[in-house]
Amino acid sequence: MKSSPIGLLVAVALGIFPAQSWAAGKAQAAGKAAKAKDSKAAADAAPAATVDADAPAGDAAAGGDAAAADTPDDSGGDAAGGSGLDDICKIDPAACPNLDMDKEAARPLKEQIFAVQQAFALRVRRFEIEPYWSVSMNDQFVGHPAPDLALNYYITNVLAIGVNGNYYAPCNVDKAFNGQVRRAARVAVPLTEYQWGGALNFTYVPAYGKFAGFGDFIFHYDAYVVGGVGAISVRPIPVIDPNNRNFAFEPKLAFNVGIGLRIFFNRWFAATLEVRDYIFNDKLENLKVAPVAADAANKATWYGDNSLTNNVQAQVGASFFLPFSFDYRLPK
Amino acid sequence: MITTNQKTIKRLVTVLAAALALFAFTEQAQAQQILLTGPLAGAPAVRKLRLHRQGRFEIAPAISFTLLDEYQRTILLGARLNYNFTDWLAFGAWGALGSVIRIPTYLTDQVQSVNAARRTTDPGEPPTTLDRRLTDVNLGPQFKNQLGGIDWVVAPQLTAVPFRGKLALFQSIYLDTDLYFFGGPAFVGLKERKNCDVCGGSFDMTSRVAIAPTFGLGFTFYINKWSAIGAEYRGLPFSWNTGGFDTAGGGKDKKFPDNKITNDDRQFNFNQLLTVTYNIYLPFQYRVSE
Repeated sequence: MKSSPIGLLVAVALGIFPAQSWAAGKAQAAGKAAKAKDSKAAADAAPAATVDADAPAGDAAAGGDAAAADTPDDSGGDAAGGSGLDDICKIDPAACPNLDMDKEAARPLKEQIFAVQQAFALRVRRFEIEPYWSVSMNDQFVGHPAPDLALNYYITNVLAIGVNGNYYAPCNVDKAFNGQVRRAARVAVPLTEYQWGGALNFTYVPAYGKFAGFGDFIFHYDAYVVGGVGAISVRPIPVIDPNNRNFAFEPKLAFNVGIGLRIFFNRWFAATLEVRDYIFNDKLENLKVAPVAADAANKATWYGDNSLTNNVQAQVGASFFLPFSFDYRLPK
Repeated sequence: MITTNQKTIKRLVTVLAAALALFAFTEQAQAQQILLTGPLAGAPAVRKLRLHRQGRFEIAPAISFTLLDEYQRTILLGARLNYNFTDWLAFGAWGALGSVIRIPTYLTDQVQSVNAARRTTDPGEPPTTLDRRLTDVNLGPQFKNQLGGIDWVVAPQLTAVPFRGKLALFQSIYLDTDLYFFGGPAFVGLKERKNCDVCGGSFDMTSRVAIAPTFGLGFTFYINKWSAIGAEYRGLPFSWNTGGFDTAGGGKDKKFPDNKITNDDRQFNFNQLLTVTYNIYLPFQYRVSE
């Protein structure tokens, strides 16, 4: 029974963290909470704020819409501002602003305005942990499904550096089709199985969008390109002379390039769909068997041609962004 | 004194309390969603939505590429014709011709290379060498001439468009997009090796129509008021004899060769295609929602 309170505390802690992750702009959330307080819709300022669209404008202003609160009031702002400046000039003439308004107006504006402001999920300075499952799309002879893991760190909102690893070893599938071809045509094609792969990657996110689902709910997504360099450990499956040949896995230099789609369910959890091409120079099994038994057993005679191989994979996974919450740099 | 039953009940209550706490906090964590009352309650998620589809015909020239082909890749040239009853539901058909562009795979080239070498060594009929005798039923003079192929496809289909959105590219190019799902029956004109009982030297081809389900999903990227670019993935599963080989029909469960070409030699293939389209919408002007 001593462990029960600890379990309870852990459960509560687990519950609290996702709650923080929904911090959709803290100022905004605070404002909404204040408004809820005013309207008595949520008497104890629960996070589930209810907005009364019928409420008078004054209420909205008092309600703490962060952007509205920061904006000068056009109707009375000038007068008030003018009065304030006069006061300053009376108290301290040295501090009195002396601006040439024509000159100021002629100054070029260099303010950067983003077309998409306060994107639903910011990636900058966040880690992305992405477990995924991959299947080969272009190998009709051997299937290479694999459980995989990727870890990215977003240096900017659109650029990440990361690593990924694929573990193929237990999942290679030599398809029945190969045996049928060997039996029907008495022709064998060299086959290759994979053990693992790993790469250092750069990810660039040029596209960002949102979908309205069934005209009812809205979800956000982005599209990215990824590329990198790493290694893949492969070996031929002996089909030409399986009695003599037994290949060991060897790592090969592998480049990769891909495109992907990330669909956000909330600000820290998303589903990913990706197509990635791993390109490496594969050493194939020799199609000829040395006529002398001693030579056939010699490893030097086992390998044949080199082939530039494209292992195109479809990858389906989930993305977890850490930390769960983030703050927007600028108000909307 | 606390009995075993009481201990069990206490533990159960503790676990339940923990679970409740967990769920309670999760519920609160998601409650940042703004619940609207007043005139906005029940309002659509998107106002002034450009209805690219509703009440419009869609004519989409299409080019399709087969995936994971065993012996030859097929590039199908065709078109899709749809009428969009609403912005989320359309009915139409996709049709394509596959007999124009076919590209043999590496495996086909390998098989033919070996086959040609064998025939150079043993050019006569009937064959005398072991390799030629064992492959007499399966390999004709030109392997690629006995391969099964998709000649044409006609697929009436229903299209549902549940997701509609927009896309910002490099924060400077903006496109309306949608994601759609489609499905229906497909009529596939196939060319296959003709069935035969005595098959040595008999490599005639025949045509038949296979009826199969077809389904998939696609993206549409609207370029302007009347045109769009589309990309879609299609599954088209059916059984056929892609290599013209005798692979089944004999032995236990008919899973071994029987030296005949029969319907048993047709194997189930989950045929897959990637299609790129250029969509034209008629009339040229779209409607806008309230």
